[in-house]
Amino acid sequence: MAVVGSGTFGERRLDMALELPRKAKGQRPKYFEDAAIDRVLAITLSLAGEVSVLRDRIDTIERLSAIGKPFGPAEVDSFEPTAEIAADRERWRSNYLEQVLLVIQQDVDDLKQRNSTHSYDEAVQSVETT
Amino acid sequence: MLESGDAQTQTPHAMLARNTADELARQEYVKSLKFHLASKVSPANALAFAANGGKPEDNRHEVARLLKNDPFYNTWSAMLRTSQELMWRSVQLPIERTFDEIRDRSNVVAPVGGTLELDPDLEIPAYHRHVDIHCMPGGYHSEFAQEDFSSGAVYDRAVYLYAMGRMGPENSDIGDTLINVVKDRFADLEPLRILDMGCSVGHSTLPYVDAFPDAEVYAVDVAAPMLRYAHMRAESLGKKVHFSQQNAEHTNFEEGSFDLIVSHILIHETSHRASRAIMRECRRLLRPGGVVVHGETPPYRDLPGFDAFMLDWDTRNNNEPYWGASHEIDVASICEEAGFDPDKSFEGLQLSAFDAAEAKRTRKFQGGDFGGGGQWYFWGAQA
Repeated sequence: MAVVGSGTFGERRLDMALELPRKAKGQRPKYFEDAAIDRVLAITLSLAGEVSVLRDRIDTIERLSAIGKPFGPAEVDSFEPTAEIAADRERWRSNYLEQVLLVIQQDVDDLKQRNSTHSYDEAVQSVETT
Repeated sequence: MLESGDAQTQTPHAMLARNTADELARQEYVKSLKFHLASKVSPANALAFAANGGKPEDNRHEVARLLKNDPFYNTWSAMLRTSQELMWRSVQLPIERTFDEIRDRSNVVAPVGGTLELDPDLEIPAYHRHVDIHCMPGGYHSEFAQEDFSSGAVYDRAVYLYAMGRMGPENSDIGDTLINVVKDRFADLEPLRILDMGCSVGHSTLPYVDAFPDAEVYAVDVAAPMLRYAHMRAESLGKKVHFSQQNAEHTNFEEGSFDLIVSHILIHETSHRASRAIMRECRRLLRPGGVVVHGETPPYRDLPGFDAFMLDWDTRNNNEPYWGASHEIDVASICEEAGFDPDKSFEGLQLSAFDAAEAKRTRKFQGGDFGGGGQWYFWGAQA
C-alpha cells in the first residue's frame, strides 16, 4: 500500500478547470409514454429552481438597499441570510412550489374526492336531465 | 405541522465547500422541492393505489402492478428522479468552482494523528462500476483531477441535502443511532478497536471517536476520493481515525483484531455475493464476543405491501440495484452462513439519535425521504 500524506491532497491538473460529469452511469427511467415529456418536466423543475434563485437574489438586493450603504454584485454574492431570513425564504418557497405545482395538488384533491363525488359526465347528465 | 429542514446549519468544517448566495439558493430549492414531494405529493400515492383497486393486504409486487402505469405515481416518480439529479448538480457547482480553495484549506488543518492509506491497485468492485449509485455522476470512486477529493466533497454536502438536514449538522445520525444500539444491547463490550466498513466521507465514523474515547477507530472504503476527503474532514473536526482504501469483503487486518465492526447504509450498495463475503470477513476480524452491527432502512417483511413498495422506489429509480434484494436479507441465515451462531444474531429498530429533527420528519420510510422515518433498522451478530 502506498502511504499518501495530506500534502498532495487535491492536486488538480493545471491545464483545465475541474469539470464533473453531468450524467450518472445507468439508464434513466422513462416515466411517460413520450420521452419528450420526461425532458420537458425535468427542464420545468430546473427552471423553477432558477426562478427561486433569482427571487432570493432580489430579496437580498431589497434587504441591502434598505440598509442604505452602497453595494454591488460581490456583496450580493456573499450575503449570508440570518436564520430569520432563511425561514422567510423557506415559507416563500413553500408557497411558490404550491403555485408551480398547482396541477399536481389538483390531482391530489381529485384522488381524495374520487370515491366521494360524481364524475364530470355524471354532473353534466345531472343538470341536463334534472 | 411538518417543518422543512434547513440547508444552512451543516457544520462548516474546513473541507466543506463555501457556497455563493446563488449556490445556496439553488440547494435550498432542491431541499424544498424534495420536502414538498415527500410531504405534499407522495402521500397521495396511497390514494392512487386505492383508486386502482389496491387493498391493504396486497404485497409490494401487487402494488407495483397496480401503480406502474398510474399517471399520478409516474408524475411523482419523474419529479423525484429529477430532484435527485438537480441535487447532485446543485452541489457539484460550488465544488467545481472552489476545488483549489478546499485543497488550500486542507493544507492548514492542524493534524490530530489520523492516517490515510491508499491502494492504487485496489480493484473497484463491479457493483460500483456498473452504475453510479444513487445517481451521483461518477460514483464514489471516479477521479477527475490528480489527488481528487471532489466526489467526497460532493457527497458530504449532498447527504445533508438528501436527508434535508435531519441527520444532524454533521450527518452523523446513523452512527449516533448505532452507538445507542451497541450501548443498549452490549453494555459490557467496551470496544478498544472499532472498524467502520464502507465509510465514504466518515460522517458516520466520527461519532465513535467521542462515544468510545479509549478506542482506536479504523475505517475502510473502496473509493480513494472519498477517503482523501474523509481524512481531511476528520482531521479538521479534530477526530483521529485511521482510513484505508480496502474492500470490506477482504481486508488486510489481522484475524480477531476488532471488538466492534459497524457499517452504515453500506450493505444495500453491494451485492448478494458481496454482502455474504462482508459477513464472513466480519466473522474473521471479530475477536470472540465482538459485535458487528449494520445500519439500514427496515426490511420489507415488516412493512405493509404499499409501504414496502414506496421504500423500494430507489431500486428502479435511483440507481440502487441491490436496494430491493438487500431489504429481504434473512438475518439469522446470512449470519449462520458466515460462521456466526444464528442464536447470537439480532435485528431491530432504534429511534434516531438526532431527535432535534423530530418536527421535520414525515415518520415514513419512502423513496426520496431519507432520514424522515425517525428510526433506523439495525442487524448483526455477536461472535
